[in-house]
Amino acid sequence: MRRLRNILDRIEPEFQEGGRWNRFAPLYEMVDTLFYVPGTATSVAPHVRDAVDMKRSMITVIIALLPALFFGMYNTGYQASPEAGFLQNMQTGVLAVLPLILVSYIVGGLWEVLFAVVRRHDINEGFLVTGLLLPMTLPPGIPLWMVALGISFGIVIGKEVTGGTGYNIFNPALVARAFIFFAYPGQMSGDPVWSLADELTAATPLAAASSVQGADAVGLVSGAGYSLSDMFLGFVPGSVGGTSTLAILAGAVLLLVTRIANWRIMAGGVAGMVATALLANMIAPASQNSMLSLTPLYHLVMGGFAFGIVFMATDPVSASQTNAGRWIYGVLIGFFCVLIRVLNQAFVEGIMLSVLLGNAFAPMIDYFVLQQNIAKRKRAYAKQ
Amino acid sequence: MHMLWAKSILQHHVDPVIPLPVMDVIRLKKGHDLALQGQPEKQLFSAGRSTLLKIRPADFRGVKLKLMVKEGDHVRTGAPVLYSKTHPDLFFTSPGSGRISRIVSGERRVINEIVIDLDKTDSFEAFERFNEQSIASLSSERIKGQLLRSGLWPAIRQRPFSTVANPDIVPKAVFVSAMPTAPFAPDTDYLLEQDDRGFQSGLSVLKNLTGRPVHLVIGRKASHPLLTRAKDVVHHSFTGPHPAGNVGIHIHHIAPIRNRDDSVWYLSLQDVSRIGKLFLTGKYPVEKIITVGGSSVEKRLYMKIRQGMMLGDILRDNRYDENSRLISGDVLAGEIRIPEEPLGFYHEILSVIPENSDRPFIGWLRPGLRNYSVSNLFLSRLLNNRGAGLDTRMHGSPRVIIPFGNIESVLPMDILPTFLVKMIIARDIDEMEKLGIYECDPEDFALCSFVDASKMEISEIIREGLEYVEKNG
Repeated sequence: MRRLRNILDRIEPEFQEGGRWNRFAPLYEMVDTLFYVPGTATSVAPHVRDAVDMKRSMITVIIALLPALFFGMYNTGYQASPEAGFLQNMQTGVLAVLPLILVSYIVGGLWEVLFAVVRRHDINEGFLVTGLLLPMTLPPGIPLWMVALGISFGIVIGKEVTGGTGYNIFNPALVARAFIFFAYPGQMSGDPVWSLADELTAATPLAAASSVQGADAVGLVSGAGYSLSDMFLGFVPGSVGGTSTLAILAGAVLLLVTRIANWRIMAGGVAGMVATALLANMIAPASQNSMLSLTPLYHLVMGGFAFGIVFMATDPVSASQTNAGRWIYGVLIGFFCVLIRVLNQAFVEGIMLSVLLGNAFAPMIDYFVLQQNIAKRKRAYAKQ
Repeated sequence: MHMLWAKSILQHHVDPVIPLPVMDVIRLKKGHDLALQGQPEKQLFSAGRSTLLKIRPADFRGVKLKLMVKEGDHVRTGAPVLYSKTHPDLFFTSPGSGRISRIVSGERRVINEIVIDLDKTDSFEAFERFNEQSIASLSSERIKGQLLRSGLWPAIRQRPFSTVANPDIVPKAVFVSAMPTAPFAPDTDYLLEQDDRGFQSGLSVLKNLTGRPVHLVIGRKASHPLLTRAKDVVHHSFTGPHPAGNVGIHIHHIAPIRNRDDSVWYLSLQDVSRIGKLFLTGKYPVEKIITVGGSSVEKRLYMKIRQGMMLGDILRDNRYDENSRLISGDVLAGEIRIPEEPLGFYHEILSVIPENSDRPFIGWLRPGLRNYSVSNLFLSRLLNNRGAGLDTRMHGSPRVIIPFGNIESVLPMDILPTFLVKMIIARDIDEMEKLGIYECDPEDFALCSFVDASKMEISEIIREGLEYVEKNG
């Protein structure tokens, strides 16, 4: 460790003003602060600082994602060959998922470094989370080149074009996901892609629920072989990280206890989903649409709702940034998710678009909350 | 058993005529009390004699100062040394008797420092003196005249902008915040126990000077009768973690500043006592009690010092680490000073904390039992940060604003700090005003800067915003 510190200290001057590698200073900063916490001292008040920094905050999100990731790896193997043992399935899963993550980090990382060098700002840690989120929303069998294109689109168009980290309107991982979905729909929908094995064509629970007109969705799901506990625990086909509600819940608890994710977004999302689903349930008997009869609990455990509401909607930059706004934003996302799932039979996953829609509305929601704050202040002044 | 009963009856009949004041208690929840090592012990020591005192004009904001003396002049304690360009009758006077040995100027004829070599004993400028009863009936003009001439007018500051109070205006209220929550701040009950002269008189002077309400804010547990039974004031009490004791927070909740022309004056408890002493004795009061605290200084205590004493003189009989930072004021809002500089005019704390430049290997991934944090991201939180030290390190690189909510969780004001910061950076005066910039002061946002994961200098940004609005608003 001493040697690494010495090496870094020795090459530092090359990256500073006037040094020959000055334009790559962001790269030096990334490596230097990756291994060693900065030793800079405060120069103005306050003279002491909290130990928390962006790296600590982002690593917490990654740790929160790990249960879903590890389970997802296992599940990928399990779905392909249910009879194989734990180790065998884990191995299959790792071999299938790790390349996705590597491509996402490497290709995305190259874009991050390029923009950091050209725009002369430090490389932001938020990328570590985006790079992991994207593969977890994708089907395990997806070609690597699609992941590369997707993460590129997500970072460049979804983030850098609007100003980079901290200035993005949309969640970059979701923009990447949406790009892949709309650019390569053939490869993304339909049953075959959601499972690794070629012969096994298993429908995802959401696909099963919408497969037959007029039937009861809950019945369709169990008819396809998925019990409620299967879906809660995650032993169903689906995206790499999104099947196990239990694993996602573990991550949610970590995010909430550490206050990295705002609980109002999650609570609002669940509340909005429950309310809309109950409304749909009331209309269900009068309609041929099987999806209307999915109860809130099923909405929660099926598809990517849990993953989206816990890890995607809670991205602090693209969500609403006022506490009151976060409630409205969350409820809106829950509402839209059920709405999209129910209204469009050809398009059963609603969470991706509903979070993106929420992102689009977030600034406006904040604007109205802000106006209220300003009006309240004016009234308090007038009362004096 | 019946002894206790009898005792309680007796206690109920103490002071039958003067009832305890009815006051509102405002409970604040947001904020954080820094668990800093090196708390000052409640023992009062007098600083030894010093041979020189210094005046630092930069201590006073919002005034352009011009010299009334030159090097070699002899001045008495309370004699004018500087005056305000916009108010030539507003004097800044000498805190001691002696010869002006050096006047240090900087760029554009700004005076950086005035050094006074002290005589063996003080000779005082004579000001009017009154007894306690006559103070109650003094006219505003007479009070103002004495304050302006004596050099104690600068003790009165004004919000917005935290400048020396403008003698031409009448504020809508005066605030005396007597419940300090800043790290190492002197306990007000203890201060009054050690020296209770002048406080009530000072309050009466303020009441007559402005004719406006004097709001006295005390802590819930304040027990000294001079605080709880003060006259000519409106009592308030706040509870909660720091910054619940900051005057800006009190003003926000009691008489918020609506626009740049809405003014409030404020003073510290000791400065009120000093004003009282001035009117009772007719002499400029040269002493004040401060605290010395911090993990890098050997003796942590209360000290009686003279205004204008250098930090080196204050710490003469004390030992402190070579690799430490001397801060005039508290660690959250104070200024870095070297031993040759004097303690700030408005400061009552001398903090000495360790400088450190250690770089832990992959520190952001480790459990962090010894990392001080308000967030729940380190193991140290389970022990409430006991065993976690604080030094001068930033603990991270500056990043863009990512609104996790840290900043909002330590600001007990009805202001949205993240949006305000963005509007200040964007230099949008209209939005800054709508979001309440006039109610803000850098010291109220110090904890926001402390907890920010993006390592933004939020106190500085607020200061920049205020300066920008002051000039261009």
